[in-house]
Amino acid sequence: MGLFRYELRLLLRQRLTVGALALLALLTVAALAMGMAEVARQRAAIAAIPAAQAEDIGAVADYVDHTRDAGSAAYYSFHPTWDAPAPLAFATLGMRDVSPYILRVRALGLEAQIYDGDTFNPELALPGRFDFAFVLVFLAPLFVIALFHDLRSAEREAGRQRMLDALPNGGRALWRRRTLLRFLLTWGALGIPFGIAAIFAGVAVAPILIVLAVIAAYLLFWIALAALVGRLRWSSVANAAALAAAWLVLVLIVPTLCNVAINAAIPVNQGAEIAMAQREAVNGAWDVPREATMRRFYARHPEWADSAPLGPEFHYKWYLAFHENGDESVAPAVRAYRRGLEARDAAARALGWVLPSVGVQALLTRIAHTDLTAQLAYQDRIRAFHHRLRTFYYGYLFRDRPFGKTDFDRAPRFDDRDRG
Amino acid sequence: MSAVGLIARDEIRLMTRNRVAIIAFVLVVLLTLVAVASSWAHQRGIAELRARQAEAAETAFKAQPDRHPHRVVHYGTFIFRPLGPLAAFDPGVDAFTGNSMFLEGHRQNSANFGDVRQSSLLVRFGQLTPAFVLQVVAPLLLIFLGYGALARETERGTVRVLMLQGAGRGQIVRGKLLALGAAALLAGLPAMIGLAAISGQPGALAWPMLAIALGYAGYLALWTVLILLVSASVRRSRDALLALVAVWAVAVVLLPRVAPDLASAAVPLTNRLQTEVAVARDLRTMGDSHNPDDPHFAQFKRALLARYGVAKVEDLPINYKGAVGIEGERLTSAVHGRYATANHVAQARQNALVDAVGLLSPTIALRSLSMAAAGTDLAGHQRFLEQAEAYRYALVQRLNRMQMEDVSYADDGATDAGADRRKRVSARNWQAMPDFRFIAPDGRTLAAAALPGLAIVFAWLAGALILLMVASRRLGAR
Repeated sequence: MGLFRYELRLLLRQRLTVGALALLALLTVAALAMGMAEVARQRAAIAAIPAAQAEDIGAVADYVDHTRDAGSAAYYSFHPTWDAPAPLAFATLGMRDVSPYILRVRALGLEAQIYDGDTFNPELALPGRFDFAFVLVFLAPLFVIALFHDLRSAEREAGRQRMLDALPNGGRALWRRRTLLRFLLTWGALGIPFGIAAIFAGVAVAPILIVLAVIAAYLLFWIALAALVGRLRWSSVANAAALAAAWLVLVLIVPTLCNVAINAAIPVNQGAEIAMAQREAVNGAWDVPREATMRRFYARHPEWADSAPLGPEFHYKWYLAFHENGDESVAPAVRAYRRGLEARDAAARALGWVLPSVGVQALLTRIAHTDLTAQLAYQDRIRAFHHRLRTFYYGYLFRDRPFGKTDFDRAPRFDDRDRG
Repeated sequence: MSAVGLIARDEIRLMTRNRVAIIAFVLVVLLTLVAVASSWAHQRGIAELRARQAEAAETAFKAQPDRHPHRVVHYGTFIFRPLGPLAAFDPGVDAFTGNSMFLEGHRQNSANFGDVRQSSLLVRFGQLTPAFVLQVVAPLLLIFLGYGALARETERGTVRVLMLQGAGRGQIVRGKLLALGAAALLAGLPAMIGLAAISGQPGALAWPMLAIALGYAGYLALWTVLILLVSASVRRSRDALLALVAVWAVAVVLLPRVAPDLASAAVPLTNRLQTEVAVARDLRTMGDSHNPDDPHFAQFKRALLARYGVAKVEDLPINYKGAVGIEGERLTSAVHGRYATANHVAQARQNALVDAVGLLSPTIALRSLSMAAAGTDLAGHQRFLEQAEAYRYALVQRLNRMQMEDVSYADDGATDAGADRRKRVSARNWQAMPDFRFIAPDGRTLAAAALPGLAIVFAWLAGALILLMVASRRLGAR
């Protein structure tokens, strides 16, 4: 243990090392603070939903009360859904800045609503977020390079290497000690602030331990790379240049190249085509006999088939029926679209097995529930909720029950807690 | 040959002997070529896809059967944001904004289906474009090539030897500058050739391309000077390398990410739910056409009856429902427009904050000048949104007028067996509707938008040159 303490004192005397570690810790704290602030903003936006919603639905209820028509209630009522950030979301915001985490839906055609986005500034989203994942994936390797590129070559260039090798407990044991010490300090600079923030945010123990292990593994990868380059016995300068070039290739160039390759190899049928096809199907219903629409609807919903036949005047049950028919008509395209997105995501994840930078990013966004899988899971929850909404309004429309003010309180409410 | 030329030639010879440097150089050139080719193919593919989809949407609109005009208001139309030729050089925010929009009455929908939500997580690592290579990768290459240019001579004491042989300090620095500048020129050349190739495309504009070429030339010149400045100021080449990589990491990687986060925290945007609720609230107070007791529409009705000198709406020579539709759309559009403007203003303030950080990081300044000149920045997207809204409003009001003039009030409210047929207007009307055509800004407008960024990049260059002159005076003194 004594030798460790001497090494530590030696290390702390190097201005570059101390400065680098302090800077890394500072950047980590800043990134965590920014991530937590953003997550707090998102939570506040979700917490503000009920008040805004009560006002909105109150006005709709006042209006619908004139007719007590369930169809008007269904048409004018927007029902909120939301995707609360998982406890770990502050560490990696993933797609949460470009995908909506609040979406209001009506009991009309869902395919015309589910792809809507929220307000965001694309120029701010373009460079990516400054979050913990960014500090770990992009910046931490640069600090590893700064600390490890001259681990041996500095001693060699100073003419001390032979002496160090000859010392008792010198040679390999010495390099191991120094490597371990620097590794622990770097790990601490990243892991300790993260651990504190995670406990503060109420993250469970298992995810914290996994992330700490991921940090360690990613740092060890770069340390191993530095050691590998160090074995070539180049000068310190050449080591630093080679490692920085490796960083550029592994963190920036290969992921961007693979992005181009994946998007070219896995074409995704454009979502816009789904939206256009759905709109044709929905609006086309005005030009076909209404009985044909109802037959098609009742074939899928025999439970409503005994509803009173349509009269000559407009009835919302027909309107909602053709909206559901419209969704149904594009269901195969929707499934194909989703399969395409999942295939692209899977390809990127597969790349993560060979490219640590991508692997760490993929793993962190997975644990933090901020990746595409989480987005699609949110869409699934919206779909399930939308199904409940439809069933609720159909119960009034197909039985011609009046929809009074109190019925607004009976409408299904979105529950975010039953996440898979 | 002059002393400057000799020193430059010697430095270049040394660079070409460095095998790692040559490999890195070749890799960067290859990367640029791949970026130019893929980015160009991507841009053409997207431009064609959107043109095809836009045509399909227009055809579908015109192929509608006879319909009640209000049905068409809800049928709406899809429009697609076209992609200019310079997007092949710098696609900017294109992948992050939705590129298709559904236009209908009463509502202003969001632009949907941006690539960022259709791509894997890799898209957040950056996009391989010529702009990315020049902004991010090329400076690092120059650092590898040039960090030792002066520090090496200082470290080995060869500066004094050079000076003993009669070379002045200024001549040494100018020679090294010339050598590294030549390397920078060579590194930037493939991307510039790509840019020139893009200019052959129809619609490519000379002024913005000039702004882009000048901007990137100034940026690479700035890095050349900066590298020599650091190399002249430190005693060991390793320190020069570490310092330069640190400067690069802060200016190119860190600040461009931190600035947007600060900006979005400083200027929060109102989310869509809150905006929609506020719009609904404003509309309730201004006038609600669905509410029979609404004071605004009661007043509107009285004024209309008085104008035509009749007692009830049934006696009007026009369809009252169409008139209400026009008035309602006018009100909703005004309210939506107010909130959209507030949102645009907030986003512009966010971008101004990021641009202010651009004073510290020339990369941010270059990025915004590059996007502005290519027309792929937020302002470019907002131009699309504004034109889309103008088109949507004109379309919906045309349809409302059609309902007012071509559908009788009696038919509109009728529910008898033949009423549905009588309410419809001829399909010929849909063919007469004008299509949406995005009017791209002219070259001068785009180039003017790039001027602030250009000014910052060149101010940095001038500052770095002055500092280099100061630093070179102390060369060899230690």
